[in-house]
Amino acid sequence: MKWLGGKGDVAKGEHQLAKTELFRDLSKRDFRVIDAFVQERHFMAGEVIFDAGEDGQALYVVISGKVAICLPERFATPLAELSAGDFFGELGLLDDSPRSAQARALEPVVLVVLSRTDFERLMNSHARIASRIALQLARHMGLRLRQMLAASSNGKDSS
Amino acid sequence: MKLAGLPYRAGPLVWAANIAATCLVLFLFQKILWLVVPFILALIIYYVLMPLKLHLLLRGVSHDRAAAWVSLLAFGFFLLGAILGFSYLFGDAMGWQASAMRYLGGGIRLLTGAISDLEQRFGFIAESQAREMLEIQLGGFFEHFAETYIPGIALGIVAWSPSLLLAPFLAFFMLRDGWRFRRFLLRAVPNAYFERSLYVMDEVDRTARLYFVGLMQLTLLDTVCLALGLSAIGISGALTLGLATAVLAWVPYIGSVLGCLLVVLVAATDFPGQPGVAYAAIVLFLFVRLLDDFVFMPLTIGKSLKMHPLLTVLMIFVGGAVAGVPGLMLVLPVLGVIMVVGETLGMLLTDPRLRARYAHEQVLRQQLVTRDLKLD
Repeated sequence: MKWLGGKGDVAKGEHQLAKTELFRDLSKRDFRVIDAFVQERHFMAGEVIFDAGEDGQALYVVISGKVAICLPERFATPLAELSAGDFFGELGLLDDSPRSAQARALEPVVLVVLSRTDFERLMNSHARIASRIALQLARHMGLRLRQMLAASSNGKDSS
Repeated sequence: MKLAGLPYRAGPLVWAANIAATCLVLFLFQKILWLVVPFILALIIYYVLMPLKLHLLLRGVSHDRAAAWVSLLAFGFFLLGAILGFSYLFGDAMGWQASAMRYLGGGIRLLTGAISDLEQRFGFIAESQAREMLEIQLGGFFEHFAETYIPGIALGIVAWSPSLLLAPFLAFFMLRDGWRFRRFLLRAVPNAYFERSLYVMDEVDRTARLYFVGLMQLTLLDTVCLALGLSAIGISGALTLGLATAVLAWVPYIGSVLGCLLVVLVAATDFPGQPGVAYAAIVLFLFVRLLDDFVFMPLTIGKSLKMHPLLTVLMIFVGGAVAGVPGLMLVLPVLGVIMVVGETLGMLLTDPRLRARYAHEQVLRQQLVTRDLKLD
């Protein structure tokens, strides 16, 4: 029944998203669902991925290369450096607020992009994937909060 | 949509461009009407079947397989409906002309009866001999109706039918390859404009989906209301009549007039000598149209287009003037889609930061491809 199509574009062996922080615990079947909605995007070193203040329309997962999250008008050095497996751009999708910082490729980068519409569709329609993504997002936020608290307490100690 | 925290508002130039582009598209559509009608039917089929395909995608089925299963299912339903409906519809095909003439006769009787009534009440109408003149003119029209109009109508149906068969094929390929086309378009977009393009595509898709799904909901609501009202009056075939009238209402103004005429003809024929029933049917029809315009439409189609009512009415007239009946039908969805594209293009062209980012991307690409060409 070839006319009815194949099993999608899932590569044999481990899926490229399986090692990423956001989609870590998903099954092969879940990756087939995710594959139907994501797309790959390539950026050159130095290229701006998005600017602070823009409307967030997508969430990005780093497949290869490094991305800097920065606020060039306020800080000379990047706020964070992200590498393969990390994700960014989720805040704009979660609270519908403008981008809080700029994302810039530090070296040639391959990203997997999930658009706002597809992100919301997955979160609203697929309970298992939604719960896994929500859990990873909560862990990610918790980690950031702990890092911020640690940074602020270090600042107080040094002063 | 916001740009660096500030909401973007389209200026008069963008609005003028949107209206001009809509007129141009309608004018071009008129030239390829044989393709536009099946394309619209295909879009309706696509948006009706899309939730089912999405459901399969979310269960882990691939795009191609989901499209194939959904299309097979729809084709199965269509085949079943065709088999069941064929004998009902075409079993009495020979009697169609007789039925049509019977209903037209009923309509004429109602009209002449109404004029006689007016003649009795107002002397100047009796003096003008309006009834006699109307009877002579209508008599002449129906005497030559078959040889004058039937061949043209039959030829039109024969010429249009093959192009309508394109609709299911187009719908299948939209379901199967629509996502590939979207990715293909997005791949061609420079990185600087990528997120804005994502927004445009999602908004165009959302606008078209809401419009066509809204149209289906509106048709269903109109059908139910008219069918209930007509059956309460006691008119035969209330559901079929309600559906036919609701579908005719897809064509603004002209469709409503034809629908009203249909209802009146059936009412006048079913109840000869009782003009009150036909008048009740007219009142019911007007009530449903008002309900449709002020309650149902804002709840269904109106939600998708977010347009000022004055602009909506004006554009319907403009659409009719530019492209006739197809223009009346197409002007609102075309304007809805062009508004989204036009406003986004306007925003992109007036955003210096995005243009600067694109220029920066070009410089980086130039540096990358010329890195080993320089002689030091």
